[in-house]
Amino acid sequence: MVTKKTSPDLLNSFSFKSLKLKTKQQELLIRVSILGLVYVLAFIARLFSVLRYESMIHEFDPYFNYRTTLFLTEKGFYEFWNWFDSESWYPLGRIIGGTLYPGLMVTAALIYWALRFLRFFVHIREVCVLTAPFFASNTTIVAYFFGKEIWDTGAGLVAAALIAICPGYISRSVAGSYDNEAVAIFALLLTFYLFVKAVKTGSLSWALGSAFGYFYMVSAWGGYVFIINLIPLYVLVLLITGRYSMRLYVAYNCMYILGMLLAMQIRFVGFQHVQSGEHMGAMGVFLLMQVFYFLDWVKYKLNDTKLFQTFLKITVTSAVLVGGIALGVGTASGYISPWTGRFYSLLDPTYAKDHIPIIASVSEHQPTAWSSFMFDYHILLFLFPAGLYFCFKRLSDATIFIVMYGLTSLYFAGVMVRLILVATPAVCLISAIAVSATVKNLTSLLRTKQKIPQAGSTKGVGSSKSSSKVTLDQSQPFQKNGAIALLVGVFYLLSRYAIHCTWVTSEAYSSPSIVLAARGAHGNRIIFDDYREAYYWLRQNTPTDAKVMSWWDYGYQITAMGNRTVIVDNNTWNNTHIATVGRAMSSYEDEAYDIMRSLDVNYVLVVFGGVTGYSSDDINKFLWMVRIGGGVYPVIKEPDYLVNGEFRVDKGASPKMLNCLMYKLCYYRFGELVTEYGKPTGYDRARGVEIGNKDVKLEHLEEAYTTSNWIVRIYRVKPPTNRL
Amino acid sequence: MSETSLPSFTLPSPMTVFALILLTYFLVISGFIYDVIVEPPGIGSTQDPYIIEGLSSGFMFVMGGIGIIMLDLALDKNRAKSVKASYATAGVSSIVIGYVMSMLFIRIKIPGYLH
Repeated sequence: MVTKKTSPDLLNSFSFKSLKLKTKQQELLIRVSILGLVYVLAFIARLFSVLRYESMIHEFDPYFNYRTTLFLTEKGFYEFWNWFDSESWYPLGRIIGGTLYPGLMVTAALIYWALRFLRFFVHIREVCVLTAPFFASNTTIVAYFFGKEIWDTGAGLVAAALIAICPGYISRSVAGSYDNEAVAIFALLLTFYLFVKAVKTGSLSWALGSAFGYFYMVSAWGGYVFIINLIPLYVLVLLITGRYSMRLYVAYNCMYILGMLLAMQIRFVGFQHVQSGEHMGAMGVFLLMQVFYFLDWVKYKLNDTKLFQTFLKITVTSAVLVGGIALGVGTASGYISPWTGRFYSLLDPTYAKDHIPIIASVSEHQPTAWSSFMFDYHILLFLFPAGLYFCFKRLSDATIFIVMYGLTSLYFAGVMVRLILVATPAVCLISAIAVSATVKNLTSLLRTKQKIPQAGSTKGVGSSKSSSKVTLDQSQPFQKNGAIALLVGVFYLLSRYAIHCTWVTSEAYSSPSIVLAARGAHGNRIIFDDYREAYYWLRQNTPTDAKVMSWWDYGYQITAMGNRTVIVDNNTWNNTHIATVGRAMSSYEDEAYDIMRSLDVNYVLVVFGGVTGYSSDDINKFLWMVRIGGGVYPVIKEPDYLVNGEFRVDKGASPKMLNCLMYKLCYYRFGELVTEYGKPTGYDRARGVEIGNKDVKLEHLEEAYTTSNWIVRIYRVKPPTNRL
Repeated sequence: MSETSLPSFTLPSPMTVFALILLTYFLVISGFIYDVIVEPPGIGSTQDPYIIEGLSSGFMFVMGGIGIIMLDLALDKNRAKSVKASYATAGVSSIVIGYVMSMLFIRIKIPGYLH
């Protein structure tokens, strides 16, 4: 039997002789150390690719962000804000200052300048690479405070730990993934936390904080539309469930007005908050709040209930009518623009497939299959419904918010794979509530049973149990053992979660995409660095004013690493320009040459995976080029390139396919190559067939460079022959 | 602060709303939207997502979640002991079965899982 006397002895034996910590201080120490460990864990879990390869920027979009950050640190803020880039979208150019979200670049530049001020002279690339893990660590701290608001400190700690390693978040915030989402998720959670705090306390300063958080979010990512629609929806739900209060009034009004004014400072957003259909919900709820306040005041002034009821009916109907008429007039006159395609396809998922092939072609925009959910969330999928149950048991303003955030974001995650990222904080928080509540239940089971033998006197728990003490005596050890077994089970599940997350991060989400790796015949790792090889060749062996035509996927990388002008890039803001490139790639060489001359193209770059078996190459993307080109130029018809509805490159392929520019550029000289032992020459390893047209002759282009594994091929456009 | 709510409008109880939400959660997690848009076959032998797999794994997740809820109900003080014990066993068995089946599903889907 443990007596109270041993605890000071225990402390003394740890040689904290002069440091007798009280319980509250012990608790604080445990909490701070847990948060510190979680902070470090979130950072180092994202460093796999830096340790395996090197510190480099991954994928496609981050290269644009890196280039703009470089420009910002070299030329200063005003040059950056007014930058017109003539190196992309030749000959149109791009107004970069007005068409990007500056939050990420400004954040990285500030960190860079702060480090330089402290005399740490790091390269801006290192700062860019490590921005995402740094902000992921900060997100765990915000998650802790948010969990504390919604439930209690235990839930906050669990939420911080879960979100530190959740694969749904890691996928877009590994070291090297220098993209808007790295900073945006931090801003999102911060805004939500500050707003919930404002609603809970009704204080103007917290509402002000949430307005600034919203401003940071608007500057960082286009997904801010989620915030400006979720918060009004939340306010509406509170109004419907009869939870209108002065705190809500103060919080929402301050946040909406200030947030809207601050958001208009970003040129890319401009006046959308008053002109775009996606932002009208917030304005409608704002006006509704004023109506509620007015009704409240009238009810207070007017002490007659019956008169008030009639007044209520009249006001509500007239308010709805006026609002509806205003909305109708605005939409009909064109002042309020309708929902843009990207966001409309979230409400109607079939829209993009039929009407906008560019949106449909991006793999991240596909709806989510069940395996993606399982892969990214593991046991959080079990804990989520349980957490919802606990929230519904203890409904308050804060729990209603997290339930709404979780449900709306999970629905959108089901529509588009990329949005699993937005749902991750909500899923982690709600799961943390489930874990914390269950563990609390189980440990209270352990504790109350212990107190009964000791508390022979006054304690309330003991006295209420004393009458049933006799009947419970026999089951006490059984229940205690059961509780201990269940606690072990909970820890086992959480440890399996940690193992799963580490495995997923290491295997699936730490690939830089620009450097490919494969296992050789003896199990050794082979690295394909062809992309960077090609871009550096471009940088060093072509004239500085050369223009490069390629499919839009590679645009950002060519401008950032090759430092050459491109025709189209990943911004995809001009569909007709992309369709022109698509048409050129899918036409015969003569027509394509005319198009290329009209665009002043000097070099053409294609990606080819036939030698290595790399399957994300231009031949596999070719049908999208045809569809997008055909969407603008009806002369390009998709059935011309298919045989019986099937896409083939072997002998049975359609003649148009065998002679189009993309085919010729990819398979030039490939017919002489032996790629696999025992197969004929010209065997395409990515498609698994022998190609149909092995004797490719180019008339207007000549081969300039092919990388060592034939992944990137560059061709020079010959000037027109002299007329005689 | 006040009850200025719209006239003649009774709200459903929280638990009714929760039951509806659980149903929509089941649909979303099974990849229902993916099934509606991409229309994969019901069942097959290659490594693609299929409808029946999605629905059964979604059911496993919901079962696991309900198991945890039943555990919480079992620890509620105001019930008879036998009811509490049956809730506890049902809850624990739901969680165990749900977890084991989900792990089995993921090992089928991803051949190199945890290697």
